[in-house]
Amino acid sequence: MDKPRVAFFDFASCEGDQLQIVNLEEDLLKVVGAVDVVSFREAMKGHSDNYDIAFVEGSITRRSDEPRLLEIRKNAKILVAIGACATIGGVNLLKNFQDLESVRKFVYGDKFFQYETYPARPIKAVVPVDLEIHQCPINRDEFVMAFKALLMGKKPEFPNYPVCEDCKKAENICVFEMGMTCMGPVTRAGCGACCVVEGSVCWGCRGFIDHPNADSEREVLAKYGLSVGDILKKFRLYTGFSEVSK
Amino acid sequence: MELKKIDKPDLGLFLQNLIKDFQVEGVKRKGQSVYGQSFFYGSINAPDELCLDFDCTTMPPKKYFIPPKEELLKFTIAPKPEVAEVIESKPLIIFGVHPYDLKAVNQMDKIFSEGNPDPNYLKRREGILLIGVDPTKVSPRSFWNSMEAASVSSGFDLMLTDIGESYLVEVGTDKGGNLLKKYAKVSSVTKEEEQKRIDVRSKIWNMCKKRALNFPMRELPSLLVNSLNSPLWDEKASKCLSCVTCNMVCPTCYCFDVWDDVELDLTHGQRYRRWDGCLASDFAKVATGENFRETRAARYRHRFLRKGQYLFSKLNDAACVGCGRCAAYCLPDIADPVDVFNRLKEAVK
Repeated sequence: MDKPRVAFFDFASCEGDQLQIVNLEEDLLKVVGAVDVVSFREAMKGHSDNYDIAFVEGSITRRSDEPRLLEIRKNAKILVAIGACATIGGVNLLKNFQDLESVRKFVYGDKFFQYETYPARPIKAVVPVDLEIHQCPINRDEFVMAFKALLMGKKPEFPNYPVCEDCKKAENICVFEMGMTCMGPVTRAGCGACCVVEGSVCWGCRGFIDHPNADSEREVLAKYGLSVGDILKKFRLYTGFSEVSK
Repeated sequence: MELKKIDKPDLGLFLQNLIKDFQVEGVKRKGQSVYGQSFFYGSINAPDELCLDFDCTTMPPKKYFIPPKEELLKFTIAPKPEVAEVIESKPLIIFGVHPYDLKAVNQMDKIFSEGNPDPNYLKRREGILLIGVDPTKVSPRSFWNSMEAASVSSGFDLMLTDIGESYLVEVGTDKGGNLLKKYAKVSSVTKEEEQKRIDVRSKIWNMCKKRALNFPMRELPSLLVNSLNSPLWDEKASKCLSCVTCNMVCPTCYCFDVWDDVELDLTHGQRYRRWDGCLASDFAKVATGENFRETRAARYRHRFLRKGQYLFSKLNDAACVGCGRCAAYCLPDIADPVDVFNRLKEAVK
């Protein structure tokens, strides 16, 4: 059997997810050895439109991005969105809650009219997506896990329980008990609660679990002292797309 | 019953001697929270790291018996299918386990050895020595006195009680007795000291009576069977985050999920298991995609039925030891068994 042909693409993003793949260290050679990489701007020269699996990083922030994404979708048998920008819109989505013209002026100054924009959105808002690998940036082990599942032709299993499970297993003190607040109770686990382990809180970069109890999370945030405005900000940092797509 | 005495200054020496020959795990201080000091089990490398006057640890000692993630098998797919079991165990001493957590270990011992014995659990269990300690403080949410978990008659190798100037040590097993002979400086116990242990214990047990079931714990199975359609399940579960914190911190929750992982060459791999929790939305999801406990309320009710009825019929005892961890760490504060059981009882009166 021929090796699957694989291509990598990016839209509005820091390209940090592709960097995670380039950073796979000892697994990198095994990964690229198992497939034919035909396009990967961050790592190689050359390009082909003939590929089986497309890994797409970044969110869609301009109408002019759409034809390129549609082309990728047409060429690929399997389209995998990688990283928070691609799966849930990422922090790019923050601008959706502000005036788009002032956002452009803030970034591009008096040349703003040369740069088009529209409300940021994840890949699945434009084309059907077969698989999503969450997190900002993606977790290398999880990428390899999903990659192996693709090689075997099976569906990868991603956690559908909140970060609290990982956090308890990591034996952290709950951040709510330490006077902070956290999106962990509604956020998909799989990261090992790495931000809490490092002394921060969960910001929600892996997006919601399938059935988050957002009302209860809002009540908990209020109980621990957040105002309505602050709760809204918490929910918009990474998971704002679920608000606008309702 | 064999009872000895270790003077407090000599406890450090006992510990120091144990550390030389064993891996010793025990209760350590870890960070302050708004509730005060947090305690976790961890490696004890020097006697002053061990804390014996804790109220309750955040996590129970179950990680030593069932690790949060554990390798079960190594397998080869090609060229020839082969399977080899993986059983990891190393001898260790767990120093400082309260009676309610010892009761939980006794239950796990029974569950993992009956029916379909679990070789990984049993092998690991064989190498673990348990040094229990009676509590000197009661955590705000605990109610172990209601759950017949204030003391245990077995399950420990040694059991310590702080009687002021010294610890009284009850020898639970020959292994424990030998440990004491070889590593500790002990003296015999007077009748007065023996009485002091009884007094100290009843004092702390009384302190745990502030939070209690309003009915005998043995009524739980019938109460739960009569409460299957209680509106309480929906009321409480509407706030459930499905975050499984109650499962994770529970000393008697032992459910796990098993999966296979292959290496990138797709020729060999490993089988693992991880702690799972019945409050997670996919816990009861099966291969076709069917989920037989799809609603939060169904999952929430299941947990209480399991603790108070299903496992009761297997153990002749409640699979809740009253440690109060689920109540303490549930963010929406819906997990408290005292509240749930008492309200159910109130409703059927």
